[in-house]
This record gives sequence, structure tokens and C-alpha cells, in this order.
Amino acid sequence: MIKYIIRRILESIPTVIGVTIISFVLIHIVPGNPVRIMLGNHYTPLRAAELTKTLGLNKPVWEQYFIWLGNLLQGNFGFSYTYEKPVASLMLQALPHTIIIVVVAVLLAHVFAVFLGSVQAYFENSKFDQIATVINYFFYSMPSFWLAVLLVIFFSIDLPWLPSGGIVNTQLSNPGFGDWAKHLILPIATLFLVSVAGWARYMRSSMREALLQDYVRTARMKGSREFRVIFIHALRNSILPLITLFGLSLPALLSGALFVEEVFNYPGMGLLYWDAVNARDYPIIMGVTVFVGLVTVIGNLIADILYGLVDPRIQY
Amino acid sequence: MSEVLNITSLSVEFNINGEYYHAVNDVSFHINAGETLGLVGESGCGKSVTSLALVRLLAKSAKISGKALYNGRNLLDLSLEEMHQIRGKQIGMIFQEPMTSLNPVYKIGSQISETLRLHNKISNDEAKRQSLEMLRKVGIARPEEIMEEYPHQLSGGMRQRVMIAIAMINNPQLLIADEPTTALDVTIQAQILDLMRNLSRDFKTSLLLITHDLGVVAEMCDRVAVMYAGQIVEQGLVDDIFFNTNHPYTQGLLNAIPKIDVQNKDRLQPIVGNVPSLTRMPKGCRFATRCPHAMDRCKMESPPLMEIRENHQSRCWLNDAKVV
Ligand SMILES: Nc1ncnc2c1ncn2[C@@H]1O[C@H](COP(=O)(O)OP(=O)(O)O)[C@@H](O)[C@H]1O
Ligand SMILES: [Mg+2]
Repeated sequence: MIKYIIRRILESIPTVIGVTIISFVLIHIVPGNPVRIMLGNHYTPLRAAELTKTLGLNKPVWEQYFIWLGNLLQGNFGFSYTYEKPVASLMLQALPHTIIIVVVAVLLAHVFAVFLGSVQAYFENSKFDQIATVINYFFYSMPSFWLAVLLVIFFSIDLPWLPSGGIVNTQLSNPGFGDWAKHLILPIATLFLVSVAGWARYMRSSMREALLQDYVRTARMKGSREFRVIFIHALRNSILPLITLFGLSLPALLSGALFVEEVFNYPGMGLLYWDAVNARDYPIIMGVTVFVGLVTVIGNLIADILYGLVDPRIQY
Repeated sequence: MSEVLNITSLSVEFNINGEYYHAVNDVSFHINAGETLGLVGESGCGKSVTSLALVRLLAKSAKISGKALYNGRNLLDLSLEEMHQIRGKQIGMIFQEPMTSLNPVYKIGSQISETLRLHNKISNDEAKRQSLEMLRKVGIARPEEIMEEYPHQLSGGMRQRVMIAIAMINNPQLLIADEPTTALDVTIQAQILDLMRNLSRDFKTSLLLITHDLGVVAEMCDRVAVMYAGQIVEQGLVDDIFFNTNHPYTQGLLNAIPKIDVQNKDRLQPIVGNVPSLTRMPKGCRFATRCPHAMDRCKMESPPLMEIRENHQSRCWLNDAKVV
């Protein structure tokens, strides 16, 4: 097992390095110059040349890449152009905010999708199933930023129940936990809704198949009641494909978080990345890219390990 | 002798493209206490549907009519809760597919003790002890280790033994075995049949043994019901079925058994043709299209099940001709 994990991590190193090369080249190809953006109104060709040299941007791209990679291997993510702070500390500041919305949304979405999909499969083609399928498709086909905007219009403007962005109400003298939690509801709801829809569809088809298996007939023949048949006998088999799907859907989930954080002006990794892209703040862009690559690798690894725990036929 | 099971006029219809078609048509038979009844017929004759209808394991869309008295109670009228208490406790069932009938993600031990714990208020340890004992009874070596293993680690024969353990652990009065050995190697088949015979004798269990193999019937059964295209076509004591064979279909099945002492291979004659599909049942005798003795009348009129001697019935117009 330990050997398997180490092997998988070693195998993923070339992939992650490949991703960083592609990203590095891409951000240099994309028009827009960080120096120009940083200097703004104070721009003069002389100052620009000086700053370009200070930042090392005058060197060839491949040389810049190897300098960056060398620093990274020593644990140094570099220094942000715009914030003038170490990239690592900026990411560490943003990370908890993203973790809380993504983890809560993913957990809730999984539990709910597993339950909804199972019940839909059991009552296949009933009114309930049909209505749920339509609603699923509605959210499944909706881009996350669009859904986020709709939720803001509805819950923050039409019915001003929830804040439209940020993490704290600056007008309160002593904003507490309740205020913070209120700011989390809409970002979490957006990520939850767009994820539930897809997973529930998978769960429905997976459970549908499981319910037709011979071992389900055996379970009924033993005298199991239907609740037990579905949630003990069929469920554990039918969540197997969902575990793999979870690993594969992590990148999509993180890019969903990017748009959601932008719409809600929520100070997580997504917003950090978004602002960095606009400012051509290369060190931050590359730092977040490495982070997302690592999360994807680790997420897939966790999915594999979970799969092995649930399915005894898998040996590592 | 008391009857454990009495089926009267059992019919099952399936909805195929908006219309209902009979898969089982007016089937009646009974099983006495301690007796083994063989339900025989080629694949597609409605044997499995008959057995699943009894224990109400068919899809809700299947239309079932008739009576299925188990110790005098009509299984078809019981509430779902009453059925839950009968399945696995009073009636056990083994299926044709040992490779897929066990749940792949649970240990053998927990799958056996689950059946115990669903029906008895006993401790974990006690359930485990009884499961171990049952595994020994079904002839599994190293039962302690097998308890901790998963289905994929076991051979087909072993898995069928585990299925038998699950079906028998609550000491049911009736065991339904639907082609329990069809998927197994010949040598394993004999062992499993031996095991079932010994267990049902020791536990005084009545047995409904479904098979397409008359060789199995000869070894195991007291009485036989031969099924063709959803109907019983001949029914009687095992000796009468083999030695006073009446129905041409039964004769056809007998001719198709390979016999070791026959040198001339031409004597092995499978029945030509296929079982008619549900949607295309012939109007007269359902076997007429494949019957070597078919007369004009057979194609027009459906023969009733006629009593041809005591405890021996057959559904064939040839008997009517003899009487007249
Ligand atoms: N759920 C179903 N819907 C429609 N037809 C079915 C269904 N189950 C079985 N049948 C049909 O009923 C007939 C009898 O099947 P079955 O009882 O499985 O035969 P066997 O004697 O081989 O066990 C077959 O023609 C089969 O195709
Ligand atoms: Mg069958």
C-alpha cells in the first residue's frame, strides 16, 4: 500500500512538471505585460526597462522557467509583483477560505447526490424521478458563474436575505461567526448545486444497474426489507463509479470555485488566481498552477485508495 | 402426509410492448412435507418465473393470479412485511448463478450471519458461531478462514455451497433450488446434489428442484412436473415419468439424455425446434409444432391435463384417442 502510494506520487511528477511548462509558456505568450500594468501612470520606457531587469523578465523564457523551477524545488514559490509579498504566504492566507467552501459543498453534494440518485433509481420513471431528472439537467447544464449571478440577484437583491459577496460585513461593529457563515451560504450553494446535478445522474444509473444484480435478489430472498436492500446491499456497489468520478472531477470543481469566488468577491485561491491573471502576476499564477496540479494528483490518489477500501476485489 | 406447498392455477403475465402475455399459464402442483418435487423443462419454459412468482420476487409489472398456499396461507395475498418474515426463514432459495448471487463487497461470514440476524434476536458472537457451524455442514474446509474471505476468492462450487448455507441456516421448511448445478463442472455438480439431498433429509426440508436435466431428476426427486411453454404437460411419480412416459415432450427430453451404455451415437436425439416465444404461442397444443405424433386436432384444440392413471397426468390428445 505505502509502496503503491509512493509509486503513484513519483509517477505523477512528470505530469505536474509538464503542466507547469505549458502554463509557463502560455502566460508568456498571452498578450499583456506585467511591467506595464505595474507601472500604470508612472510608465516611462526607462523605468520599464529597469523593472523588467529587476524582475528577471529580460531573460529568455526557458531560462526564466528553470530559475523558477529551481526556486520551487527549494520550496520558494517566488515573490508576487503586485502584492510585494511571498506567493506562499498569499496562498496560505487564501487557502482556508477555499477549502471551507469546496469541502463543505463537496461533502454535502455527495451525500445528497447519493441519496437522491438512489431514490430516483428505485422509483425509476415515477413522477418524482421525472421531476428530479428535469431539475438535475437544469443545474447540470448551467455554468457555475451564471448560477452564482442568478443566486445573487435572487437572494441578495430581490430578497435581500444574504450578502452578495466578501466574507465580512464591514458595517457591523463586531461581525461574528453568524455573519461569516452567512457569507459562505451562496458560494457553497452554487458549488453544491452544480456538483449535485452531475453526481446524482451518475448515481441514478449506477444504482439502477446495481438493483438488477443477482446479489440484490439474494438479499431480498434472505428476507431483507427494501431499505436494507437499497442502502446496504446495492449502495456500496453503486458508489464505486462515483469514487472514481470524484477524483476526475476535482479540476472541474476547482475551476468552478474560481468563477464562484470571482462573482462573490470571495478571498480564496480562485480570486487570488483571477486577480493575478489580470495583473499578469506570473509568480502567483504559477504558484496556484502547481497547487492545483498537486491537489489533482492527491485527489486521484485518495479516490483510488477509497475505491480499494470499498471494493475488496482491488489489491494494490 | 401434509402439504407444505400447494399451487393452484398459477398464471404470470408480462407486459411486452403494451400487451400482456402469459409466461406461466394455469400451473398447479403441490409438495408434501419432506418430499422433493422436480420441475423440469427446457430453458425458457417458465420454471424460474414460476418459482419467483411464489416468493413474490418478480418485478411489480408482472401480473400474477392463482393461489400459492404455503402451509395453508396464500403467499400471493400476504403483506410485504409477512413476506419478509417468510423469505429466508421459512422458504430458502438457491439460484442458478453462483458467481453473481453473493454480494461482492461483503465478507462471506457477514452474508451468512445476516440471514440469521434478520430473523432471530441473537448476539454477534452467536450468529458467527452458527454461521461457522453451517459452513462446516455444507462441506467447506477451513470455515474460519472462509468466513473472512470475499466471494471473488471462492470457486463457483464453493460459492454455491455458501448459497446453500445462506438458504438453509434458518432451517426452512421449503427450499427452492433453481438450476443449482447448471453453472458448475460435472464433478462439482454431483457433490452439490449430494449435499442438497443429505441436508434436506437431515433438516426434513421439502425441496422444489428446478432443472432441465432429467438425470438430476432421476437421482433426486420423488415426483416430477414437466413444464413446457408455461404449462405443466406431464406430472407424476418419478418412476412413472421414466418408465411409463406418456407425453411426447417428456419422451423427447428422455431421448436427449446421453447414456453411457449406448454405443450408437445416433440414438441421442435432441428435440428439434425451439420453445415458442411468449408473444407467439400456438393456438392448439403448444408442443404440436415439434411433436412427432402431432395430429390435425393438436393444431386446433389445446389439450387439457388428463388423469391417465392414479397420480399421473398428461396433457396430450393421444390419451383422449385411446379412451374414446
Ligand atoms: N421480466 C420479464 N419480462 C418479459 N418476459 C419475461 C420476463 N421474465 C421472463 N420472461 C420470459 O418468460 C419465459 C420463461 O422464462 P423463465 O421462467 O426464465 O424460463 P426457465 O424455464 O428457463 O427458467 C421466457 O420466454 C422469458 O423470456
Ligand atoms: Mg431459469
